[in-house]
Amino acid sequence: MNAAEPTRQIYWNVSHVWLMYVLFLPTLAVAMYGVWRRVSQWRQGSPLARFNHPLERIRLLLTQVLAHRRIMRDPFMGLLHGMIFFGFLVLTAATTVVALDADAGIHIMHGQFYLYFQSLTVDIFGGLVLLAVVMAAVRRYVWRPRYLTASNEALGILALLFAIVLSGFLLEGWRIVATNDPWAAWSPLGQLAASLSSKVMSVSTMQQAHAVLWWGHLALSFVFIAWFPYTKMLHVIAGPLNIYTANLDQPGASLKTVDFESGTSLGVNSLGAFTWKDLLDLDACTECGRCTLVCPANTVGKELSPSELILELRSLMHSTRATPGKADGQDTPAPLIGAKEAISPERLWQCTTCGACVEACPVFIEQMPKIVDLRRYLVMEEADFPASMQEAVTSLEAREHPFRGTQATRLTWTEGLEIPSIKDQGNSEVLFWVGCSSALIDRNQKIARATANLLKAAGVQFAILGREEKCCGDPARRIGNEFLFEKLASENIATLNLHRVKKVVTACPHCFNTLKNEYPRLGGEFEVIHHSEFLAQLVHDGRLKPQSTTSKITFHDPCYLGRQNGVLEAPRQILQQISSTGFVEMARNRRNGFCCGGGGGMSFVEEPPTQRVNQERAVEALATGADTLAVACSFCMTMMEDGVNARKGDQNMCVKDISELLWDSVQASETAGSKA
Amino acid sequence: MNDIVVCLFSVCGFEKAAKGLVGEGRRLAARCGGALRVILVGDGAIASEIAPLADSVIVADQAELSEYQPESYLAALTELCKIQKPKAVLLGSDTYSLEAVARLAHRLGGSAVCDGSAVRLDGEKIFVTRQVYGGKAQAEIELKRSPAVVSLRSRSLAPASPQDAPGEVRHVVCTLPPMRTRIIERKVDDPGNVRLEDARVIVAGGRGIGGAEPFSTELRQLADILGAQMAASRAACDAGWVPATWQVGQTGKKVAPELYIAIGVSGASQHMTGVSEAKNIVAINSDPEAPIFKYCSLGMVADYREVIPLLRSKLGLLHK
Amino acid sequence: MNILVCIKQIIDPEVPVRDFRIDEAKRQAERGSAKLVSNIFCENALETALQLRELSRGSKIVTLSYGPPSAEESLRKAIAMKADGAALVNQEAENPDPLTVARVLAAAARKLGPFDVVMVGREAGDWGAGQTGSLLAEELGMPCVSFVDRIELDGSKLKIRRQTDWGWEFLQCETPIVLTITNDEHNVPRIPKVRDVMMSGRQPLTKLALGDLGLNNPVAEGGYYDVAKLFIPQKESKCEFVVGDTPEQRVESLARGLAKLSGAL
Repeated sequence: MNAAEPTRQIYWNVSHVWLMYVLFLPTLAVAMYGVWRRVSQWRQGSPLARFNHPLERIRLLLTQVLAHRRIMRDPFMGLLHGMIFFGFLVLTAATTVVALDADAGIHIMHGQFYLYFQSLTVDIFGGLVLLAVVMAAVRRYVWRPRYLTASNEALGILALLFAIVLSGFLLEGWRIVATNDPWAAWSPLGQLAASLSSKVMSVSTMQQAHAVLWWGHLALSFVFIAWFPYTKMLHVIAGPLNIYTANLDQPGASLKTVDFESGTSLGVNSLGAFTWKDLLDLDACTECGRCTLVCPANTVGKELSPSELILELRSLMHSTRATPGKADGQDTPAPLIGAKEAISPERLWQCTTCGACVEACPVFIEQMPKIVDLRRYLVMEEADFPASMQEAVTSLEAREHPFRGTQATRLTWTEGLEIPSIKDQGNSEVLFWVGCSSALIDRNQKIARATANLLKAAGVQFAILGREEKCCGDPARRIGNEFLFEKLASENIATLNLHRVKKVVTACPHCFNTLKNEYPRLGGEFEVIHHSEFLAQLVHDGRLKPQSTTSKITFHDPCYLGRQNGVLEAPRQILQQISSTGFVEMARNRRNGFCCGGGGGMSFVEEPPTQRVNQERAVEALATGADTLAVACSFCMTMMEDGVNARKGDQNMCVKDISELLWDSVQASETAGSKA
Repeated sequence: MNDIVVCLFSVCGFEKAAKGLVGEGRRLAARCGGALRVILVGDGAIASEIAPLADSVIVADQAELSEYQPESYLAALTELCKIQKPKAVLLGSDTYSLEAVARLAHRLGGSAVCDGSAVRLDGEKIFVTRQVYGGKAQAEIELKRSPAVVSLRSRSLAPASPQDAPGEVRHVVCTLPPMRTRIIERKVDDPGNVRLEDARVIVAGGRGIGGAEPFSTELRQLADILGAQMAASRAACDAGWVPATWQVGQTGKKVAPELYIAIGVSGASQHMTGVSEAKNIVAINSDPEAPIFKYCSLGMVADYREVIPLLRSKLGLLHK
Repeated sequence: MNILVCIKQIIDPEVPVRDFRIDEAKRQAERGSAKLVSNIFCENALETALQLRELSRGSKIVTLSYGPPSAEESLRKAIAMKADGAALVNQEAENPDPLTVARVLAAAARKLGPFDVVMVGREAGDWGAGQTGSLLAEELGMPCVSFVDRIELDGSKLKIRRQTDWGWEFLQCETPIVLTITNDEHNVPRIPKVRDVMMSGRQPLTKLALGDLGLNNPVAEGGYYDVAKLFIPQKESKCEFVVGDTPEQRVESLARGLAKLSGAL
């Protein structure tokens, strides 16, 4: 060994190296076949355009894959994954360096590079991988959090990785001892392995063991390469690909359209009815369980688990033959729902469509839209869905609102106020879209009144549709009746266009999301603003003058406003004006907010008393010690009032819409002003 | 030609409803200047109770009529009414009467009205008042053909006072056709209980109860303390929480209690039209804007689950 | 088995009370902004018929309506629920009396039939006369059983369950027969599949005029009955709410009120 030049002999103590190349061929073949199988399974899905805006997509890829942005939301796991990820990058680079040296005649594995990179850095990162793998195994198999599947496959993968890296260190240690490596100090872990081994093994034993273990290490590595596309390790390819082809629109705009003309199945009950992107989603899943962790239904103990759903769909996909689209020689594709190995549908009806699962996923899987796709099949092709939702749908068809039994009309809330109708006032600045929940639920009429009063006080020229307003269609769409949704939407769009409406302000985030994101495709292009944004602007412009109070207020982000449309600050701006010192955030806020449980048609469903999403959220609100819970959605209002009343005990907390709080505040400041 | 006929079925007994019907028949007969003839089908046991109140009681009690069967009873009524040639025929609003009314009218060439609450004479014309549009409106119907065949809610109508001389009781035999329908089994729901139509106090639950269990626990316990019968709105029946026989409303029972306690009942007009004869309505509902509060004399805005247990113990104390 | 189901289209009966208006001149309710819907008991009847057809293979269900052109919507919905056929007899007169309706339906039934079972709703959610089924039976010379909620086959006969004031009765019935149907937890009308709704517009629907039925004037001579007056009774609400600062006091107040109103305790 040339003491002056740091390096090591490649293939020291290894004979018949040619065998490695021979074994590599079938390994690669198996791996490539695996990848091809998966790709062909994805391709049985229907088309979808997800390759536009390449620059934005590359940026997303870099921030998520390299900078681990979503993964780091859980700092501990983010760290572990980073250790494995970068560890493997370094190990792969090291192996590449060796291969360049051995096969391409490019000799860089010497000198400072050898010391600092090939020895020190590689050792440290190898050690990080080892540590991270052990920590990951402890987490999944010892701590056993509920949202992680303790599968045999995951254990196998972790064990394999551990064995590969550990055997690598042993080989390094034994080589160090047997070759009296002068640079051993630059490989601290190898040196550790060397000194530990020396206690129990002689040098000649080490040398013999090395010769054998080298092939063992190779075998394990080749097994890893061959096996990876058949396991969730495929996420190494599928994950970044999935991120690249992610949905770039606001999450609120993530539901697909249904083609009623082509005669294909309505909704999804076969793999082919999903898009290729949906199927790719399935293979991108790393079983991290974060979607289930944040799922409100799962959190309160219901059966629904987004990760379980994805994994079940994945195993159905993997069990299809290489020639997709044919099952048992017939042309009818195998059903996804109901049949023996398929998905049991009850869980599908527990989803509130809040989108927390989609927001949480580090590889950008879209779980919630798949649930809606499956619902669409059940509702439109089978008419098989919960009775309480059926009642809401029937009411929508008969009465154009989902609240059967209400004694209110679309104009009841206007009694005593002079609210102009769009018919009479053609030149309004904005149309105030009231929404069914605000108009027809007695308690929520106060929201409509407060909003209207504020608009008047600010001198805004507005009008309402009154009796011409129909349900925006959101409940129908989320329950899965796309047909009814399009019918209601088209009728509303015709009405709005007839009255030449340009700008719409609404207090309901569901209406907001639907009119803004889902109406344009059907011919309704309007500027749609949520009342929190509009009112915040009025306050900012000085057209409304709130007075500060000493009440302690906390805010519940509506899922359809915050997470799904990114309107996070406007409500807070208003509340800061109302309560200058007493605003406090809940633990789960903004994009991480926890659903009230009312979306997705769930506000029509009677939940079991011990599994109420709204109560779970109410407990969180009460924990802030606030005396007021502010909401910005009439569905949240209904759910949170129920939840808070059920859980508050002796504590004092009222639930108010930001419009009610702002109106009270504006009136108070006027009174104060007039007293001055 | 100015006689009034009242049709009674022995199987229904001679309770408040039948008494009220006979009372109304008497009043109408007096106004028309005719006689009151009561046709009693089934067995003649109660004929002696009716006789003091009518001008004659015609009893069709042959063996084939011992048990109610729709076709045979209708045939008997038809035959006997044809003989009497009345101006009007009154029936009750029980199941058997309701299913006979229009068919009887058709066979007699007359006009029928079901579920009337009052009868008015104007010269030769007969007007019947009834609730329509799910209880949201009231109509006065003029019956154009004779006889007028009317089924009345008669529980709250005043009974007749006995005459000086009782009417004659005659037993007759009718010609009965072969029957194409036959009742083969009767199933009484909750035997031993007073019928809802005759109940003095009723505890009713609606959609706001939220499930089946509270009916058999909390509401039942409250009913027991008050000696009340139990009832429900259509929503609760359709949801399968309680039997359909508990349903009060436009298409359920029409009740006339002293006290009707509505818990978790919103007060939709279709339900309230079944309670229109109640003396007092008390409501517990968590929604302060529920329409029920427009109908009741005493109300409480609360979640029934928080109220009932405490209420039971308070009532228990008052009982002592 | 040939089954006829008669369907009436009415103004949505669940219109809020404050929106309910009467047309004094016509003596009927004003439609206002309410939608037209199929009468719920007629839909219960259709659902019962659909379940009977499942029991009796090869049966056919024809739905029939005597109504204005808008009634076609109700029949199309029935087709979407998989009725086999539909017929609409054009109604020009406003608010015909039950006997007129029965005569028209009977004439149509004779033309479209013969039928083994004729089902109608027990009453309509608007006028609630509750007579049409009975009168139809008389016009057709068939027996009638009212308030039916379940039907089973019993050899060549039917075993029928109907609701009574005190429970249920089971009847054994010959056909042909008219049944008036009432609501039950088992005959909640099924939601049509969207695909069937989409196709229902293209299915054939027979349109008939009174002349096609050989009826020049189905109204009885001199009329059957008239609506002399129609009004909305005024209700004064004098509800006393329980008093008390604490929930306990309020319940106490309620208990006293109940004890008083129920007479003796």
